[in-house]
Amino acid sequence: MRIQWRIARALIVVAVLALVDAGTPPAPAGAEDIVLHMAVPDWPPTRIMKDLADKQYKAPSGNKVTLEPDFIPWPNYYERLAASLTSGEKKYQMAVSDSQWLGAFIEGGYYLKLNKYIDADPQLQAILRDIHPAVVDAYMTYPYKSKNYYGFPQMPDLLVVYYRKDVFCNPAEQRAFRARYRYKLPCTPQEMNNADWSMVRDIGEFFRRTAGEKLAGQPLTDDFYGIAYQAGKGYDFASMQINGFIWQYGADIWDETGVPHAHAVGVVNSDAAVKAFDHYLALTQYMPPVVKTGTMDIFKVDELFREGKVAWIIQWIGFGESTITPKTSKVADKSAFAMMPGLRGPDGKITRWSNIGGQPFILTTWNNEKVTREALDFCKWWLSKDTQIKFAKAGGQSALKSVYDAPEYNTFRPWNHAFGPSLDWQKDVWHVPEFFELLVEQQEEFNKAITGQETAKQALDTIASFQEKLLKESGKIQ
Amino acid sequence: MTQTPVTTATVAAARPATWWTPRWSNWRLALVVAAVVLPASALTLPVNAAFWLSLAAATLVAVTAVVDAWGRRRGPLLVAPALALLFVTNLFPLMWSLGLSFFRYRANRGAAPVFAGFANYQTVFASPIVWDRLQTTALVVILTVGTQMIVGFLLALLFEKEFPGRRVLLMLVLTPMMLSYVAIGAFFRYYYEPTFGLLSQAVRVFTGRPFILLDTPARALAGIIVADAWMWSPFVMLLVLSGLVSVPAYLYEAAEVDRASWWRRFWTITFPYIRSLLLLALLFRTIEAFKIFDVVFLLTEGGPGTSTETIGVYVYRLAFQYFRTGESTALAYILLFIVVVLTNLYLYFVKQRSAEA
Repeated sequence: MRIQWRIARALIVVAVLALVDAGTPPAPAGAEDIVLHMAVPDWPPTRIMKDLADKQYKAPSGNKVTLEPDFIPWPNYYERLAASLTSGEKKYQMAVSDSQWLGAFIEGGYYLKLNKYIDADPQLQAILRDIHPAVVDAYMTYPYKSKNYYGFPQMPDLLVVYYRKDVFCNPAEQRAFRARYRYKLPCTPQEMNNADWSMVRDIGEFFRRTAGEKLAGQPLTDDFYGIAYQAGKGYDFASMQINGFIWQYGADIWDETGVPHAHAVGVVNSDAAVKAFDHYLALTQYMPPVVKTGTMDIFKVDELFREGKVAWIIQWIGFGESTITPKTSKVADKSAFAMMPGLRGPDGKITRWSNIGGQPFILTTWNNEKVTREALDFCKWWLSKDTQIKFAKAGGQSALKSVYDAPEYNTFRPWNHAFGPSLDWQKDVWHVPEFFELLVEQQEEFNKAITGQETAKQALDTIASFQEKLLKESGKIQ
Repeated sequence: MTQTPVTTATVAAARPATWWTPRWSNWRLALVVAAVVLPASALTLPVNAAFWLSLAAATLVAVTAVVDAWGRRRGPLLVAPALALLFVTNLFPLMWSLGLSFFRYRANRGAAPVFAGFANYQTVFASPIVWDRLQTTALVVILTVGTQMIVGFLLALLFEKEFPGRRVLLMLVLTPMMLSYVAIGAFFRYYYEPTFGLLSQAVRVFTGRPFILLDTPARALAGIIVADAWMWSPFVMLLVLSGLVSVPAYLYEAAEVDRASWWRRFWTITFPYIRSLLLLALLFRTIEAFKIFDVVFLLTEGGPGTSTETIGVYVYRLAFQYFRTGESTALAYILLFIVVVLTNLYLYFVKQRSAEA
């Protein structure tokens, strides 16, 4: 009896397998298996990309193309990618790259120039026309803002405001704020979009509470802080915010598009730049005390907000998903989002320049023509309207005008309404191969000013002369 | 009696082989070939070709050495695989990086290395940043090793005596030494954190305000020293304790009969037994502290500003952030030289200790 049952079970299994096989469309004659190995940072936007590719992507060539991402933790991502590219192992066909790294790795000969493929492909040209120009400049071009294209947007990101709607919209807090500052405390995202830096100062001062005081009618068991933005020493965890202030004040960072005549001295340390940096520093007094150690990076800001210690922060959109997820956030149902504030001019208009975040992805130079074609087909699928909508619905962002301008886009995530309008205000940091040296020195000097060891002017003077010397030595400027 | 006919072949075979005779067992010739090929290929060929040719030369030396030893020297042959592994994973990269220190080269660029002689060493020696980071390192070494020696010594005195719960307490005290640097760094980062951290919460009970330890250069340095001392004082304690328990009890009994003071007993009986062990601990910890990287990088990132950036952190920045590969290898070799000097001192004291035993 038992043997008969075993035979019957085996027959059932064979029958089911035969049915499954019959249902699978036959692979076209000559179809090949092609694996696109891709270096990616390990975070939601790349996980979503993998998920969508596995479920949806069918190569138009008929080949079986698989995306095989190598998920690398963010803190080691640059070193791991750089080690792989420079060692000559030729492991990756594609890679996610910060826009700042473009120059170094293009000069190294690792990133593929895409112009000839774009010129020959109307579909790629249409995609290019649909991507926001600021994103094209930041993610695709080297030299910056030139017509040499190297990458496609993977996850366009930018700085927005996260705030606690439960405390901002609380009637008692609203009354107290009006009584003290003679204007309305912003509550809705539209009201928060109207915030400038002077309002941010008031918010910072107003919401600074100590344990035992009340917040939104409830006694606090711990200290509470008004505002926070990045002021860390590592990587670019201060520059990305300070650059925004500098541009809003009409000053500039060293402008690589002006080589060989664009100098750093007199620009980087201009009076307007010093004023902008001073403004940035002045607001740090309303932030959690960790800012004084110079280690308040984007991860610390994220932690402080999700733990419910701060009323208002500026943060990359990439952190939004964990903020609105109850498992990872104490303020999941209390958070609202708005555009990053700016400097209000005499005409009442707000200048909102900010440093773009996010990453492009690139193709590597050692792929043969067949792999390159498949990789480009994959890029076309990724940047198709349909895929981008699915990506945005799953928590990503899209740089395609046809996607982010669509009315339903704002319904996908609570911060999406701030994304499209903010894109017009994005600029990028340098793309030159010397970017890391420029950045590390700048971060060190900013850090000295943030921790009170130097004034804004001293820091910017040192940065300017360092950059001038480095750029002259490397032949970038005369 | 039959005699073997003498031919030219047997004469040649009987002739003793010279170092230039090309044979598979002539490792001396292979060594000379490698000594010529390595620098010549590095100077004249593209990097990839030079790399493979150098590796081939090294393999030739290894193969000839094995052929030479086959059937005659069993001992060396048995350790040969371990030596080969050591060579491939350690010695060859070390030699390769030594070669790079004489070239202008950036690992993140495609440009081939350009021979620069001692220019990288000159740049490193002339750099005020390097001297500044060396000063910071010296300060860290003096303070952290000093603290570890005092705390370790006091802990050893405590654990020398038997008392209830000694074994459990000893295990607890030894635990930090067994943890990884990353765990220690992450733990102290949270411990010192002014908003959530235990230290800040504890101080606030008395002051009513959060306590920010890492906001000034002096306090940030103190934070690093406490974390490093917390991890490594037990190591000093272990060494000293092994000396303390080896002192024969009859010496103390005789001293008691003589009514010797505590200090007299310590200086004339205890100290001679632990002196060389203390020196070992001092040297070992100095070598380790000189290379300090993890705790600094995780706790302060070298800040505020660059006030706690040690030479180890600076080498990392030079190599993996600035990608000045030639300069960073030159600096790494200067540091290696300093560590080798310290290690030789360490070995000298180990030998002295063996002689005493």
